[in-house]
Amino acid sequence: MKRAALTWAVGLALAAVGACRRPQPGDPLPGLSAAERDRFTQGRAVFDSTFTPATGLGPLFNADGCKECHETPVSGGTGDEVERHATAFHPGGPGRPCDELAAEGGPVFQKRVTPALHAALNIDSEPVSAHATAIAARTTPVILGFGLLDAVPDSVILSYADPDDRNGDGISGRPNRFFDGRLGRFGRKALVPTLREFNEGALSAEMGITSPAVPNEETVGGRPLPAGTDPAPDPELSQQATDQLDAFVRLLAPPAAQRLTSEARRGREAFARVGCPGCHVPALRTGDSPIAALRHREVAAYTDLLLHDMGPQLADICLGLATASEFRTEPLMGVRLKSEFLHDARAKTLEQAIELHAGEAAGPRDRFLALPAGDRAALIAFLKTL
Amino acid sequence: MTRIALIVACLLVPAAAGAQQAPPPHDSLRGAVRTVDPRARTVAVTTGVGMALRVVQLRVPTELRVSAGGAALPLTALQPGDIVRVSFGWRPAGLVAYTIERVGHMTDGAGRSP
Repeated sequence: MKRAALTWAVGLALAAVGACRRPQPGDPLPGLSAAERDRFTQGRAVFDSTFTPATGLGPLFNADGCKECHETPVSGGTGDEVERHATAFHPGGPGRPCDELAAEGGPVFQKRVTPALHAALNIDSEPVSAHATAIAARTTPVILGFGLLDAVPDSVILSYADPDDRNGDGISGRPNRFFDGRLGRFGRKALVPTLREFNEGALSAEMGITSPAVPNEETVGGRPLPAGTDPAPDPELSQQATDQLDAFVRLLAPPAAQRLTSEARRGREAFARVGCPGCHVPALRTGDSPIAALRHREVAAYTDLLLHDMGPQLADICLGLATASEFRTEPLMGVRLKSEFLHDARAKTLEQAIELHAGEAAGPRDRFLALPAGDRAALIAFLKTL
Repeated sequence: MTRIALIVACLLVPAAAGAQQAPPPHDSLRGAVRTVDPRARTVAVTTGVGMALRVVQLRVPTELRVSAGGAALPLTALQPGDIVRVSFGWRPAGLVAYTIERVGHMTDGAGRSP
């Protein structure tokens, strides 16, 4: 009897520890059903798979699988690849000021080609349109917790918008919109409305993998692919595999914030004092969702998912309604997993990244720079807990 | 998102469809006007999925009027950035618009449903 009681006690203690265990990067959201966990596991296999030309890779691509870029420290994390986007921006002209160059292969101009396409066209990458006015470098975002961002209602995002800066705080976030008018939220310029489209678009634009949603291949600078360069039948990824992939990304838990040291607590206060939360809103609340683990949850995303003018030094491409100098507030959840910062990795430290903030962020940047060194270090220590 | 699939299907199966005397393949899309050429009677619409963007070129028959809020408008009323809902079908010369409805403008948005 004593042994049985001891076994029960140990079992209960282990269960309690398990229940309290904070999700590690790469873990699924806590509270998933068995069926949801199964879909997550199946989706991870798709995410981690490597495509070849025979299984649909290319003919134009940036990576041979999701994990080639989203690899550090786990699947869904960041990576060291930098890709190339280009658009044409003509403010003041007669039409819409931004041309995404979609008719000429843009805005993602793939950096790699399959051997068959190389043999046919003697190119090593997709040529960037001569009409481009800017070429941008883009790093790999950490996508952990993106399912929660997807579940934030539009109304929550729009509640933070202040396009005319009516409150006079110098910060005037505004939404981007997709071409059908829906609110955008994913991508460095917040063009993409939903996580599903973010994933399906990436299959095509990053890997050259067609799916039921995007069954036609990318063109080469707007020209059709030469015959014989795309041997795999379309769609190259089935609906079932696409759904599994989507489930994996959607159900990835956000990185749990680390415990705050006394220095990090001081840093959190400094973060608020200098005005960072004006754009890096500490928490957003999700709305209704068919997935209980995503429903009515608070996500410590540190973003408002809106566009902000970041000044001319960071400006690169336009996209949708976003001008060259407007960027979506980068979520800071998971920022501790990164070793390079900003959309193009130009900042090698968090302090450099803050120093490069300008435009609407000039005020908080200047207040950060005016802090005593100890407070600046504390603020950075706080960011490294996220 | 099946719209792009159907566009491609339209491009790939016209011969078979014609041989069976079936109605010409058709579909609809919603996107932003990229260019309008009233003289050539063509409209280019930007659409896509995520960052995989596509431009769909449409011919606009002379008799077709653009609708907006129940009113009929000439093709010249369309401007780049207008959000349109288009039904179209395949013809040997390319995609032909059956209806074009202006439902908003990108700067204003046009509701959640695509």
